[in-house]
Amino acid sequence: MSGRKVKIEVRDLCKCFGDLEVLNHMNFDIYEGEFLCVVGPTGCGKTTFCNVVTRLLPLTQGAITMGGEEIDFKKHNVSFVFQEPSCIPWRTVWDDIKIGLQIKGVNKTEVRRRVNAIIELTGLTGFEHFYPSQISASMKQRVAIARAFVTEPDLLLMDEPFGQLDTRTRFSIENQLIEIWQKTKRTIIFVTHNLEEAVYLSERILVCTQKPTGIKEEVLVDLPHPRDITDPKFVEIRNRVTDLVKWWE
Amino acid sequence: MEEKINREKYKTLGYNVLTLFLFLAIWTLAYWLIKSPFFPSPLMVFNAFLELLIHGDIEDVKLGMHIQQSLWRIFGGFAAACILGIPLGLLMGLYGRVYDSTKVLIEPIRFIPPVAWIPLVIVLLVGYFRFVFIIWLGAFFPIFIGTLLSVRGVNPLHIEVPKSFGASRFYIIRNIVLPSVLPEVLTSMRVGLGIAWECIMAAEMIGGERVGIGIMILKYAQLIRMDAIIVGIIVIGIIGFGLNEIFIFVEKRIFRWKEVVSI
Repeated sequence: MSGRKVKIEVRDLCKCFGDLEVLNHMNFDIYEGEFLCVVGPTGCGKTTFCNVVTRLLPLTQGAITMGGEEIDFKKHNVSFVFQEPSCIPWRTVWDDIKIGLQIKGVNKTEVRRRVNAIIELTGLTGFEHFYPSQISASMKQRVAIARAFVTEPDLLLMDEPFGQLDTRTRFSIENQLIEIWQKTKRTIIFVTHNLEEAVYLSERILVCTQKPTGIKEEVLVDLPHPRDITDPKFVEIRNRVTDLVKWWE
Repeated sequence: MEEKINREKYKTLGYNVLTLFLFLAIWTLAYWLIKSPFFPSPLMVFNAFLELLIHGDIEDVKLGMHIQQSLWRIFGGFAAACILGIPLGLLMGLYGRVYDSTKVLIEPIRFIPPVAWIPLVIVLLVGYFRFVFIIWLGAFFPIFIGTLLSVRGVNPLHIEVPKSFGASRFYIIRNIVLPSVLPEVLTSMRVGLGIAWECIMAAEMIGGERVGIGIMILKYAQLIRMDAIIVGIIVIGIIGFGLNEIFIFVEKRIFRWKEVVSI
């Protein structure tokens, strides 16, 4: 990561719910245009981490800064892809994707241009006027990804977004995500408990400890895209991450 | 696909017509078996219906006039219930503290049956407003409580989506909360309308006016004219059914997104 500009600094991040300490003094940097994966066991506080970063939840202690300023989703352009299907039932694919742009007050011509471009990029062409009840689970997730990317965010947080998809659909949508990321070069924090997914997608993996969650180790994934899951280097990295998380059991 | 849906629609219609004919057949059979002056046949009821429609009741008030008056009263009370119940339900759903601070007044009133207010209303109010008040009481609570609960039931994820983009509270209320609660508000309006219809009958029977379906039934009850009473009862049922169907039609039109069609 040498030579890359630091985009986000996380310092001494703590989050408690009453006496329960969920996030424990987390410290790390995120680089400009980086695809970072955060892996941790189920229930360790990954979603809390995402909610704290986007400020949907307040911090207990510490700071998360972007360009030296405390992150604030009203000031900074931060997008979120949620773990659960988050399409809004009464909005068509088109209307759902444009919601972020509408909130940020982008003019109509620009909205049309950007939404059209992202619809094409995510393979949703022809489904613009469909409601969520009329499209498949993977398409709903693509809508959520398109909605997050269309605002051209400084930071994109993805909280186990493919957890509810079958393996084949997941692979196809992961490839699509990599393609979009390579074209747009947005900074992404991708939270997952699927180790193979983390190695397949990211440039760097942060392995978390059990609750209270801290950073156990950072693993660099120095492999070109598209990645081959049978490649010996891929297997070596996956095994390394697996060794690191064996203590989850 | 469309052909299949149409075939299903005709099939359902056919079954309904069959059910109606079966009911009329059983009724006729019961008439022949019972042979009582207090148990009219469907044909006698139909004749009474024509008589009421064309010549009017014992005071020459035609059936159309009775229906019109009852509907007019329903409209006034139901509109008042919606105008007050929906905004108040929204307000109390959004700001739980308002509800918590006022429930000592709201909840006991909710459990008083509208009919229990009638003696008080007869003394305190006159004419049209008597009926409007009773109907309002009956329809208000289902609409108010339905709206309040639907606001509290909005999917938090649907709120977090715009919130994560920095949306204002006003944006979230207008674009997420309102569209999200509308189907349930419409359902509670349907429930409210049903109760309003029940209330108007009770109110008209006690209300001391000359015109209205409830009053018409009461007039014929005093004469023990069962055929005319049944006409009144059937008219109430048919109008209620019609109003309900209008609601369902509107619901289907407005909330096309609720149709579950998955590919």
